[in-house]
Amino acid sequence: MTPSSICINTQTPLVQFLDSAADGAAAGARDGVDLATLREGVDYRFSPGGVTRMVYPLVRRLLDQGVLSEVHWVALNPRAPPLARIGGITLHNVRLDADRLAGYGEVKEALWSRIHDLEPDRPHDDLFWSEAFSEYAFYNRRTAELIRQLDVAHDFDAFYVHDFQQLPVGRMLETLKPKVFRWHIPFDLELIPPQWRSVLAGYLDSYDAVVVSAARYAESLAMIAPTRKVIRLYPYVDPAEYSQPGPEAVEAAVARFGVTPEDEVALLVGRMDPVKGQDLAISALSTIASEYPHLRLVLVGNGSFSGSGSGLGLSKSAVWRTHLEEMVRSLGLEGRVVFTGHVSQADLDCLYERARFTLLPSVREGFGLVAVESWLHGKPTIVTDRAGIAELVRDRENALLFDPSEPGSLAKQMRRLMDDGDGELAARLVRHGRSTSRKCSLEAAERAERAMLEELMEV
Amino acid sequence: MAFGGPIVADAIALVPAGVIALVTVLLAWVSSLIIGRLLSRTNPRMAGAGRRLTVVVVVLIGGTLALQAIGVNPAVLLVVIGLLGATILIALREPLGNYGAKYFSDIYTPFKVGDTIRVQGYAGKVIEINAMTTVLLTDDDLLVSVPNSSMLRDVVVNTSPQAWKEVIVPVTLAASIDLPAFESELLKSLTKLRTRLDRRFPPVLTTKSRSAQSADLALTLMLRRPEDRDAMTAEANKRIAEVLDHVRGVRR
Repeated sequence: MTPSSICINTQTPLVQFLDSAADGAAAGARDGVDLATLREGVDYRFSPGGVTRMVYPLVRRLLDQGVLSEVHWVALNPRAPPLARIGGITLHNVRLDADRLAGYGEVKEALWSRIHDLEPDRPHDDLFWSEAFSEYAFYNRRTAELIRQLDVAHDFDAFYVHDFQQLPVGRMLETLKPKVFRWHIPFDLELIPPQWRSVLAGYLDSYDAVVVSAARYAESLAMIAPTRKVIRLYPYVDPAEYSQPGPEAVEAAVARFGVTPEDEVALLVGRMDPVKGQDLAISALSTIASEYPHLRLVLVGNGSFSGSGSGLGLSKSAVWRTHLEEMVRSLGLEGRVVFTGHVSQADLDCLYERARFTLLPSVREGFGLVAVESWLHGKPTIVTDRAGIAELVRDRENALLFDPSEPGSLAKQMRRLMDDGDGELAARLVRHGRSTSRKCSLEAAERAERAMLEELMEV
Repeated sequence: MAFGGPIVADAIALVPAGVIALVTVLLAWVSSLIIGRLLSRTNPRMAGAGRRLTVVVVVLIGGTLALQAIGVNPAVLLVVIGLLGATILIALREPLGNYGAKYFSDIYTPFKVGDTIRVQGYAGKVIEINAMTTVLLTDDDLLVSVPNSSMLRDVVVNTSPQAWKEVIVPVTLAASIDLPAFESELLKSLTKLRTRLDRRFPPVLTTKSRSAQSADLALTLMLRRPEDRDAMTAEANKRIAEVLDHVRGVRR
């Protein structure tokens, strides 16, 4: 296969510039800031989430293998220089002023909320007729115009657009070359308002292929945009990235978060967002707290790119954390729930190692890679049946499933693992889980993504 | 002194013609601006055609007067121009008819590339509209080329779903105008018309072609009631003109 050049588009940037670097880098960056000259953690940081854990490793691997020769990555990054470079990747940052950012944020949060069924009393049926939608269109058009200009200069072989925030880009990008769209969040037909279907169909039809994370999303999507090629590809992680720290390192790390040696840790890794269901986990803990006095719930994560100060600055995550803290107080669970905020990868490895089990209690979840991470760390996991990964789960075989709408369902499964005295259940879940995780490995993804791109580009 | 006398006299005789030519150019420019401004709220193609027609008429009148000023009989000139024009029209009757039909069908014919239509006993998907013909792809994979003049002369049935709802308004955007800002303002402005538009299909702005000077766009609106077609086209053009005025300050 001839090496190809590709343009990737995500909302969340691969790296966020921190206060010390953002202004200086912007001022002196005509030819682009080389990240090799800056300090990770001081001048910039990798964005938490799928962009860094999934897209970046895959792109690096395809570059290393010579499948890709040139990669340009366009993302929204209001506090960044226009151009930066990392490895063989050129990062192009789209900037928006505060007013437009607010309108854009309003629309994307409404889309997110409706698709995840978070506010049944606010259906947002007329979202595409709102004035805020004009700002969402502005951002997408600005992005599409930048990609078009880059295409004039670099003559890309294909375009890979990620997630719902960028959906209109495909239609705005006038090109005959292959365009792939990856829809990362859930796509359940019954949650898509009838007033939205033609709009979504129009956008989806502008792509040559649409990738989703679960078979049921593919079925729903095919009903809305039947002419499109819909492909189910599981999200993925690189197993080589997961280390097993020693006991001393683990105890030292978890002690910093107030976890004592006698604690039994239930670990929940996910950003502070209502969709992640931290409230369900706290409720479940309150149900069984008296039965298991050493059980502690550790909540890892803070805001996403949208909620962070170096990102879009939307306040959703802070509001949600305050709500959860009040919930903990009102349920008398002070000292039983730990909020760690964002942690380093090394600390996260330690927390996984220390966990008795992990939770994925999301009310809706595009996929749920934390379950795969749990398997890779050798920990049993309890998974919501509303997550895309649920189609890979066989209850009591590789994980425990629960229905988030059924009261007591999560507590029942937590009790099951706490009562697993000889560890037989946990061992079985982990053994089969590790086997399942191979379907979500970087290697599997590389094969699937490569095959898809080759088919679309007919190489 | 006789030195240079006839040359100077000839030059003096040409002055009135020169003045008329200069005034003609000035008048053509001013009238083109006035007509352009008067037609700015109509279809951009019509506005462009109006401006060009005005320039041609003013230049023809001015040119005739200038030639008369240097002694050329205008009657002879007009006859020559008329005969030449008639000859060209007769010789190029078919292609010119098709080209003219294409020109006007862009504005008035209710179909576009991608629609399925029936015309002259043929049915198929429109895959190309060029200067001379409209090309259909039939269900049997046959290409049918229909002269554009037929599209104005014959009955054309657009069988695409929702075709009656669709109003397409062409927009020409100078390269100096920021497209994202224009689109954003236009969408904002069009939300005021939402009660007359199908809620399932918000306005869509697509790019048809680009050059260094401008971009040809198409605004697609989906009506709720067929009788609103003319009024919606006029209203959309008015709003496009207003938005253009508003965003002209936003340069790249």
